[in-house]
Amino acid sequence: MAKLWAIIKREYLERVRSKWFVIATLFGPIFFSAIIIVPAWLSSRSGATTDIYNTVILDATGNGFGHRLAVNIAVDTTIPGRMPEVRVIAPSALTQAESLATHQVMQKEKTGYVVVDQQTLAGEAARYAGRNATSIADMAQIKSAIRETILASRLEKVGLDNSRMKEITFIPLDFSTERITEKGRAGSGIASVMFGFAIGFLLYASIVIYGQTIMSGVLEEKTTRVAEVVMSSVPSDTLLAGKVLGVGAVGLTQQIVWIGATYVLLKARAPIMAKLGAPTMSFTLPDISLGAGIIFLLFFLFGFIFYSSLFAAVGSSVNSESEARQAASPLMIMIISTAVFIQPVLLNPTGTMARVLSLVPFSSPIIMPIRMAVIGIPPLELAASLGFLAIGCIVALWLASRIYRVGLLMYGKRPSMREMARWVSYSR
Amino acid sequence: MTEYAIDIVNVTKRYAEHTAVSDLTLRVPTGSVYGLLGPNGAGKTTTIRMILNIIAPDSGTIHIFGRPSSDSKITERLGYLPEERGLYRKMQVKRVLKFLAELKGVKGSEADVRIDDWLERLSLKTPEKDWGLCKVDELSRGMQQKVQFIGTLLHDPDLVILDEPFSGLDPINAQALKDTVVELKKRGKTVIFSTHLMDNAERLCDSVCIIARGEKVLDGTVTGVKEEHGQRNIALALEGDGMEGIASILRDQSLVKRADDSNRFFEIELVPGGDPQALLRRIVESGASVQRFEMIQPSLHEIFLQKVGVGARAPGAGAWAGGIEEGMTGHG
Repeated sequence: MAKLWAIIKREYLERVRSKWFVIATLFGPIFFSAIIIVPAWLSSRSGATTDIYNTVILDATGNGFGHRLAVNIAVDTTIPGRMPEVRVIAPSALTQAESLATHQVMQKEKTGYVVVDQQTLAGEAARYAGRNATSIADMAQIKSAIRETILASRLEKVGLDNSRMKEITFIPLDFSTERITEKGRAGSGIASVMFGFAIGFLLYASIVIYGQTIMSGVLEEKTTRVAEVVMSSVPSDTLLAGKVLGVGAVGLTQQIVWIGATYVLLKARAPIMAKLGAPTMSFTLPDISLGAGIIFLLFFLFGFIFYSSLFAAVGSSVNSESEARQAASPLMIMIISTAVFIQPVLLNPTGTMARVLSLVPFSSPIIMPIRMAVIGIPPLELAASLGFLAIGCIVALWLASRIYRVGLLMYGKRPSMREMARWVSYSR
Repeated sequence: MTEYAIDIVNVTKRYAEHTAVSDLTLRVPTGSVYGLLGPNGAGKTTTIRMILNIIAPDSGTIHIFGRPSSDSKITERLGYLPEERGLYRKMQVKRVLKFLAELKGVKGSEADVRIDDWLERLSLKTPEKDWGLCKVDELSRGMQQKVQFIGTLLHDPDLVILDEPFSGLDPINAQALKDTVVELKKRGKTVIFSTHLMDNAERLCDSVCIIARGEKVLDGTVTGVKEEHGQRNIALALEGDGMEGIASILRDQSLVKRADDSNRFFEIELVPGGDPQALLRRIVESGASVQRFEMIQPSLHEIFLQKVGVGARAPGAGAWAGGIEEGMTGHG
């Protein structure tokens, strides 16, 4: 036991001390915060982007429509500089004014321009041209401002006074979405999908990164013959177990840092968003109970053991990094093909494909947690998935330990599949 | 039972294509320096791995100090230096050593003391520089070998197994290794090493075992082996020119059974009943200037060649004495 501990300790400390671990661990939260904050920030621009105030209104209506529109776009007229510029022009001079505005947009002096004319007053058409024409949020903002202005002019026509008009047309609608599952309310729909995706990505990344870490660690011990020295002190099974556990602990450490930092970032998201000048949307994280957390952890551990023991077997059977890359390709294909299914599964988490993939041991450690994040999984299905994965782990460990103890001592040419199958049958 | 450090009885190990070790029986007395000799591929490394319980024999038994080799307490009394050496390259020297010590059941604090002691003893730690704080790959090859050697001895093993310990050692480290082997023996430890360098084996070993193709060819004390397996040979050393005549004399199969030609030095085995005086007369008549002509015991090297089958070559065909090392590199 003390010797197993010595191996775990070495694997853990040597890796945690390395520069790359520190960099990757620090980079993670930055990456995740970028993933979480940037899209949220972009989508939250629906109400107010700074670009939108820099548009020009070319008003060819001749009745002051442009000024009212400017007020409606600005929302808050007390802030200077947050009001689009209005250019009142005669319909005949419109072409010339447009080409001037186009030039200004091209020179980046202006973001874009809106053309309002008689057709607009009739509620038929308005035009916009600008650099942000693809921004759905900006366009929606301008469009609704035009609608509001048209509505206001119509109401004015039927004799409504100004204050009543404001009252009627002002509709600050906040449309929030929330998901309902068998267990009741479960946070916003987008948040769940993002959360599921994050979980899937995290599991995928750590299996790939730490599986390969184990593989090259085993290969190093083999090529430097350290393995022989260690095996003269402890059985090969102990070495394998120590390696898988030690590197697994490194992965877990990194994930705890990542998840912890992401959690803190999410908590601190409101002030950050405010600093960025974006209003905060409601963004509730899906409720993760302790039980679900433990199941996530089990999936991570089992999935990690499943893949890393196979990676260790590959590492022990080859003699160089390039051979290892080749020999590991079937494993990589298994993992990558699982990752390919993440999106379809997220789109249809109750479909047959999703269910089958969450029972097969090579894909279930990634697919099942994703499904758990987005829908409620019947306990029986969950148990079956974990059960199959546990059996898969035992088989993988058994196979790996037998290939490992022979492979570590075999130098020379890379073994064929048949030879490896024979290794499995060797007594020791 | 316990007078033997290693007691191997009828051990066989087969692989798919070949039998690595076949019905091997050998006993290593406690406190002796024991040489396991044989060409590469003879089964030395397989035997050592079975002693270390890295692999298990298909049949037969191995006892170490009277206990089965699979006994986990026994492994703590063994120290092993593998043939091709290596350490974790990116790890700090002291941490590697501490790790190796912990695997042998030495407590961390105790290991620290011993590591410093050893590093100082092998001048890897001086007032100016403590190499123990460097990473392994910052050390020169010679220094790495020292570190590896410390790793083998750190837990003060009762049985030290050195697989080809002299290969790749510079003369200074080789001498340090020999000194250490002698010192270990003085302290009552048992040292077993495999080698194909007969010179070292002859000088260091109390007993030897020659194995080839997985089978034991002979074993016993070095003196015993020499008396039993070698005739008295003639050592001949020449001066100056006149080698041509000598060559024809040495090829005379009525007188010379075999001759090991090292250019100016020859080790000659006569045919049974051959007269050394007749040989000396003919050499003198050939005009060669004799520097040395002496009846000697055969060297281990000579016995080895004879027993392992290379001796089948024509007498006097004269292979360079070191040829054995080259001719026998295979894959083992």
